[in-house]
Amino acid sequence: MTAAYQLNKIKVFHQQQCSLDIPQLTIEADHCIALLGDNGAGKSTLLNLLAYLNRPSEGELQLMGHTIKSGLSSAQRQTIGYVDQQPFLLSGSISDNIALALKLQGIPAAQRPQRIDNALQQVNLNHLASQSANTLSGGELKRAAIARAIAHDPQILLLDEPFSHLDQSHIQQLELIIENLAAQTGKTVIFSTHDRLQGAALADITINLIQGKITKSPLLNVFHGQLNDKTFNTGKLSIQTTGQQKKANHVAIDPHEIIISTEVLDSSMRNNFSGRLTTISEEAGTIHLTIDCQERFYAIISPESLQILGLSIGDKLCLSFKSTAVSLF
Amino acid sequence: MSFFADSFSAAVDLITAFDPALYQVVFNSVSISLFATLIAGAVAIPAGIVMALNQFLGKQVIQHILNTLMAMPTVLIGLLLYGLLSRLGPLGHLELLYTPTAIIIAEAILIFPIMMNLAIAAVTTADPRLVPTLISLGAKPFALAIQVAKQTRFIMLAALITGFGRAIGEVGAAMMVGGNIEGYTRTMTTAIALETSKGEFEVGLALGLLLLIIAFFVNFILSLLQRENR
Repeated sequence: MTAAYQLNKIKVFHQQQCSLDIPQLTIEADHCIALLGDNGAGKSTLLNLLAYLNRPSEGELQLMGHTIKSGLSSAQRQTIGYVDQQPFLLSGSISDNIALALKLQGIPAAQRPQRIDNALQQVNLNHLASQSANTLSGGELKRAAIARAIAHDPQILLLDEPFSHLDQSHIQQLELIIENLAAQTGKTVIFSTHDRLQGAALADITINLIQGKITKSPLLNVFHGQLNDKTFNTGKLSIQTTGQQKKANHVAIDPHEIIISTEVLDSSMRNNFSGRLTTISEEAGTIHLTIDCQERFYAIISPESLQILGLSIGDKLCLSFKSTAVSLF
Repeated sequence: MSFFADSFSAAVDLITAFDPALYQVVFNSVSISLFATLIAGAVAIPAGIVMALNQFLGKQVIQHILNTLMAMPTVLIGLLLYGLLSRLGPLGHLELLYTPTAIIIAEAILIFPIMMNLAIAAVTTADPRLVPTLISLGAKPFALAIQVAKQTRFIMLAALITGFGRAIGEVGAAMMVGGNIEGYTRTMTTAIALETSKGEFEVGLALGLLLLIIAFFVNFILSLLQRENR
């Protein structure tokens, strides 16, 4: 598998503070990748590097196996489509914006109308093609910016917080668009989000950032506390770990690794808690549950499992996970 | 009071009678200032965009020089140009002293830093997403500058108009390098100074009123552009 990006010893400093520190990272091509992390975790900084809008203070960044030193060539720039967290559309209509992007990418004039049409179709905006960009709603603006970014058919699409400041209906539309784009052969979609459940549900691969550093933890079900031998005490719960790590202040449990049952399971899993089901929601075809077991746990199950278990809000549930599902950091 | 009222009335008569000598001066002034604006703008605006878009060694120094030049007295520009263009000066062989070209050069020098600073401000105060967006869309340096100019076109036009307004009101340098020759290098401001010193107050007042009308017209366009830009 070809790597879309290869990062080696990357560091970015802002006002003498290190805002991104990635010793080594390979981002495989042809995948949908989510950058997860809180505000200020370094998601936008990393995306700006991947879009070659900023340069790292230190280290090497390879695009499709090529180290870029002075700047992207036209052909290399054509491989990347980038959509900012708050996209900026230039004056004129949506079509004008896409036409300009195609012109700047060197797409022949004869091909542009068809490309504009295709791009708008992919984001369901054909009906607004001639509408002025400054009259669009937040959701329409993001979709227009995505259309502009994909019109030249880039291999890599970078989306910075595409779901921020959108209502639920626009979020669902965008999720579908991202899923469809990622499903196309040879396309790499990298998006950032602080909604870890959403990221985990949409992406094949998640990259978790915390204070500018990549962590293997899924950053879901993150609890603070103290590690004593093999037991991590959150103050409310004791979570069993493998004991391979001696020092940690946080634990995280991958929601995919949590088993939900209506009765206590007789199994080898060393972490078993019971609690009350507080929320049920759907995200990209998966069901997200929140269970209050003194600490709040997120779990992801399939719609079929939901049907079999016949869950409803307030139900008493048991959740279990192995000590190997616990990440310490 | 009667002197002022009589002069004002005579000045209005001169304007409404379309006195050819008066309008010749107006035409001279407008055409000289227009040329100076176009020449200075053709260099200052691209230079301002390029400077704003790039980081390079000495940028701060250039910015300080521009700011200093903005505050330079016009008579000093006139003095330096006089020295350069006079028969004994290094550019004397061009025989430009006391020609409209000399005034155009003086006014262009005068308004260049103003227009360049306004062009720099137009780019630096534009939406901070503009440049990264254009780069991400594939804009190379030249295309980037063109697109930035397009997106900030109203402010760039405002820079041109501000430059024109400053040029047409200039008197010191125009007098020194133009010589105030009737029908040739006499501009509205130099004519006002001359006519007033001769006691022809109504002619000076008529020219002053016309200058005011032009200034009003220029500012009206400027406010229209600013409204358009919002």
